Amino acid sequence: MANLFVDGKYGDRGIILGNEAIARGALEAGIGYASMYPGTPASEIIIALDKNKKNIKNIYTEFSLNEHISLHGAIGASWSGIRSLCAMKNVGLNVASEPAHFLAYTGVKAGLVLAIGSDPGAPSSSNEQDDRWYSLHTYMPIIEPSNIQEAKDFTKKAFDISEQFSFGIILMAPSRLCHNAGILHFGDCSDRDLISGNFKRDPENYLNLFNLAVKNHKKYLERNELLKKYVYNSELNMIIDAQISSTKSSRIGFISSGVIYSHLIEALNFINADYYKILKLGITFPLSEELISKFLDNLDEVVIVEEAEGFLEFQIKKIAFEIGYHGKIHGKNVFKAYGELTIDDVIKGVAGFLGKAAPEYFTAAVNKSEILSDKIPQRMGTFCVGCPHRGTIYSILKASGYSNTDSKDRDVVIAGDIGCYTLGLLPPYNAMDWLTCMNSGLSIGQAISIADKSKKIIALVGDSTFYHSGIPVLMNAIQNNSNILYIILDNSWTAMTGHQKTPSTKTDIDGTPIPNSVNLKDLLKSLGVSYIKTVDPNSVKRFSVIIKEALKEKGLKVIIAKRECILQEERRKKIKNIKSKLENSSEIIYELQKERCVKCNECFVELACPAIQSAKENGTNNGKEYYFIDPVSCVKCGVCYEVCPNSAIRKVEFNLHPTVNTAIMR
Amino acid sequence: MKKFNIAITGLGGQGIITAGTILKNAVLDSVMQDVSGSERRGGAQREGYVEAFVKYIFYDSIAELQNPRKNMHSPMIASGDADVLISLEPLETLRAASYVNKNSVIIFNTNPHIPISVRMGKNKYPELDDILESLYGITDNVFYYDFNKLSLENFGSIISCNVISLGVLFAKTNIPVSKNVIENILLKGSKAKDNLKAFNIGLNL
Ligand code: SF4
Ligand code: SF4
Repeated sequence: MANLFVDGKYGDRGIILGNEAIARGALEAGIGYASMYPGTPASEIIIALDKNKKNIKNIYTEFSLNEHISLHGAIGASWSGIRSLCAMKNVGLNVASEPAHFLAYTGVKAGLVLAIGSDPGAPSSSNEQDDRWYSLHTYMPIIEPSNIQEAKDFTKKAFDISEQFSFGIILMAPSRLCHNAGILHFGDCSDRDLISGNFKRDPENYLNLFNLAVKNHKKYLERNELLKKYVYNSELNMIIDAQISSTKSSRIGFISSGVIYSHLIEALNFINADYYKILKLGITFPLSEELISKFLDNLDEVVIVEEAEGFLEFQIKKIAFEIGYHGKIHGKNVFKAYGELTIDDVIKGVAGFLGKAAPEYFTAAVNKSEILSDKIPQRMGTFCVGCPHRGTIYSILKASGYSNTDSKDRDVVIAGDIGCYTLGLLPPYNAMDWLTCMNSGLSIGQAISIADKSKKIIALVGDSTFYHSGIPVLMNAIQNNSNILYIILDNSWTAMTGHQKTPSTKTDIDGTPIPNSVNLKDLLKSLGVSYIKTVDPNSVKRFSVIIKEALKEKGLKVIIAKRECILQEERRKKIKNIKSKLENSSEIIYELQKERCVKCNECFVELACPAIQSAKENGTNNGKEYYFIDPVSCVKCGVCYEVCPNSAIRKVEFNLHPTVNTAIMR
Repeated sequence: MKKFNIAITGLGGQGIITAGTILKNAVLDSVMQDVSGSERRGGAQREGYVEAFVKYIFYDSIAELQNPRKNMHSPMIASGDADVLISLEPLETLRAASYVNKNSVIIFNTNPHIPISVRMGKNKYPELDDILESLYGITDNVFYYDFNKLSLENFGSIISCNVISLGVLFAKTNIPVSKNVIENILLKGSKAKDNLKAFNIGLNL
């Protein structure tokens, strides 16, 4: 099958993910540079380009070490005359906020689009921040597509707007759009042969100091005013006129944008009220006073339907004040400012406001689920079967004596950080004491070690997070002689976002060695760390002894918990097996012997490997419960074999080739 | 405009999103059809809750297709608005029961996957009979099978549960898409032979 993402032409249609549609829009616009620090829900935007780069002429893709670098990269490309796309998750803009604040001063040369994946409801983030507020001071215009087609079309358009007004453009996509999959009508790509860079000096714009900065400040405010005129006429915004005249309903209007607009349209149809005046905003910053005023004309009341704190409401109320609008403006008095605004929330809000009833089956389902929800145990994610982080968390809890407790009083403080190991904060481990932003583990921990000398402190960090911005934090801890144990969970990949390489990755998944990979131990030594231990996190007994020892030492201690992410290891094995068909090696299985098991729960609850499961004797409901290892999901890491205090788990080794199977028992 | 909404739920690693994508590809034959529907992965790579929505839209006329009041579709399914719920885990069926109404069809896998809270003894996993009672309290159209067992017996792994459930979807519901279209999609994909076989197993349940 042809690869539509790369080769699609005008007239082609295909099913595509929202993130891929954004990437395709950028491709049609002729980008030559694409960068990101991976982050859910935005990751697939650059992944789509990166995995196809062999088939795309003149494209450079980069998984940068952090968002700050990544946005600077896109700026450098733009200044060289190459259209560039940078992507990140919502909190990424905090890291990239510095370049974002300079971009209006310097302006762009070739179009620059910053695609941001926001995460309302925070299913994969540590906060729900709405990055649109940044634009009140960065002056980066914001474009919000509502569906797959717009994700592609608006991205493409954004490059033109960027060049015309010399701003970097933000393309906002919440996870519901990033991970929506639907039909895309493709367009043609511009001629990729024409892409070539040429950096020209432009001191007037690129040098910002003293009065030069003031001058550029004035200039971008003027450009913003010009942009507002463009916004007034842009087809990215749309007014849908009311379909009823001279009734009370004809004097009510709705304003919305992005995915929430799609909820609004569906909600109005749902309650048979699809006749109101509607303003769809495709550009949500800057707003055009003229456009808002044109829409508000003839309306007594307007409802702004949006997620989070009410960025549109804030701007529109200001405009309404300036133009002397006397009607009522509703927004956050109807819709909540926290959590994801779901289709249900919009139906309820709109129906409630209009005094209309939602269909009976909707109300019945809402009521039913309230009754049912008590009965349904929560299901939280946990580490994959065989994940090396499970060994690390288990070892830390054993060494500190706090396994499986959410007690508030502990004298070992465990600092979490951003990455898969974050899941250690969930039951049964309850291992972490805070989780905020990248590299907050060591930096906050280091201060606690000064502020509260009675506590012992362990700070965790993954390899990708460490390289992101952890090195200065570590150097700060060294310089100030902090008393802290820093555990670097080095699994060689940015695993949570789909396994992008980190500087620690030594071999690519297909076996190709990566020549410029970093030797973490040497790096730590050169930074001045003298206490460094490396350990296999799956050797949990040894690991907890090492942690105990380290906690007794004063000063800064580093333990590298080194083992590759199990998913990558398994993939590697699969590729190898396909290559060498015949395995001459022996096969190991782990077996839980129920007659020896006393159900002490060391493996089932403390370690909590999901491959260890329970069932009832004879398959009946009243039968005795017993534990077993599900051979299908077990990846044979052997950790349960090590932790069972009752020798109930045995290791069986098969030799696949000789006809007799020899079982080596424990 | 005719609509047909399918909610697919289960756990990470069960192929929920793949099942959704297969169904979505079925609308490419006609310009009068559309599809929307987001995926949600519950934070973790494995063990977490995963759902995929497939919302089929069939326009009555070109005018309707071009009408901005009609041609925009939420990526989510509202409460009670799913025609079909497919769930590959019993507890998750219960959790997703809010999507269905009294005319909906529920297809689910009876093979449980015990969440951590139950392991820790903090909660009880509901008995299958209780789950069934709750589901029958909503609709009479409930179909359930041990997809894990069927997949293991036929393919030696549980990897085919998702495609088997798609077969059941075509056998037990009035999904307005021809099963040949799905067979053609499976034929073009990887592991075509196994997938077609799995689809057929489901069709004949
Ligand atoms: S060996 Fe034990 S701990 Fe490792 S994957 Fe198998 S069951 Fe889980
Ligand atoms: S650790 Fe050993 S004795 Fe304890 S529950 Fe597991 S298998 Fe049984």
